[in-house]
Amino acid sequence: MSDDYDIEAVRKEWIGVKSERRPGRYPVEYDPIRRHCQMVGDTNPLFLDPEYAAAGKWGEVVAPPVMVDYFAGNGAWPRVEEPDVTGGIPTRGNRAINLNTAWEFLKPIKVGDRLSRQTEVVDVYEKAIRLDPKAVWTVTESRIYNQDDELVAVGRNTLLRHRTPEEVAADSGSQQKEAAR
Amino acid sequence: MTTTEIEQRYWEDVAEEERLSGYSLELTWTKMAEQVSGSQDFYAVHHDPDFAREGGHEDIFYNTGFTRAALCRLLTDWHGPQGWLRKLSFEMRKMHMPHDTITVQGIVTARRQGKGGMGEVDIDLWVENDRVGIATPAEATVLLPRAS
Repeated sequence: MSDDYDIEAVRKEWIGVKSERRPGRYPVEYDPIRRHCQMVGDTNPLFLDPEYAAAGKWGEVVAPPVMVDYFAGNGAWPRVEEPDVTGGIPTRGNRAINLNTAWEFLKPIKVGDRLSRQTEVVDVYEKAIRLDPKAVWTVTESRIYNQDDELVAVGRNTLLRHRTPEEVAADSGSQQKEAAR
Repeated sequence: MTTTEIEQRYWEDVAEEERLSGYSLELTWTKMAEQVSGSQDFYAVHHDPDFAREGGHEDIFYNTGFTRAALCRLLTDWHGPQGWLRKLSFEMRKMHMPHDTITVQGIVTARRQGKGGMGEVDIDLWVENDRVGIATPAEATVLLPRAS
């Protein structure tokens, strides 16, 4: 990509942009919780055993709190084409690395709950990484609500987008040619 | 169903510098598939080595969904059925890759009285692997019931 990328223009356009509050595609369900637990060997009956959970503090199977944004989203398939504040921010490259995440969990999410999410762009900046001297970092904050309009979680995420080594080399080469003229 | 009964931990029984019982997982190819299934994160850098290398990485690396699930398991096992994970933050400074063995551990750093009959406990935790050491430092706050 030619280096006409203007980080200041991107910052001006995107910082403070908020998505609409959108519902997740499906309610909180048993099987995604089971698959989540399977990947890390989690055998907690609060997440997996409806009978045990019914007799417990929450009265129903709850999802591990970190699944809150999973159930506030559309899932991977079928793909939903809708404006996404994070995906819409122009960047130099399209390779992504997620870096930092911070969540505050305010209420449990139970099987049957319907969640919705609003996301705001908090910051966009350039910062070099080993792979790309012009990686673009984005910081977003998500607020997730349940069907009773209660705020159940607030999360902040930092993600960077970088170019492939081939793209970085091509950009360096074009800059050297420009300098030599 | 094979689940594991979890014990209730009470705020009064917790001491600063107490170690949480950690656990380890081998990142086999089956675990990689479980990572994609469990997180539903199909970004190819987490399952396609050729794609990962084209992007400049040594190999595929495990995703955010897996990493936070691993941290969450340690905390929810520890706080028991009436506890609550209030805050969790973590930094993915280095990567967890195929054939690594990860270990998730934690230590209590502070405890204080909370609201609503609960006590608050701060925990430093991390995911390390046998290739690079601590790759994912994290901090959490957990609410525990009071014994009396």
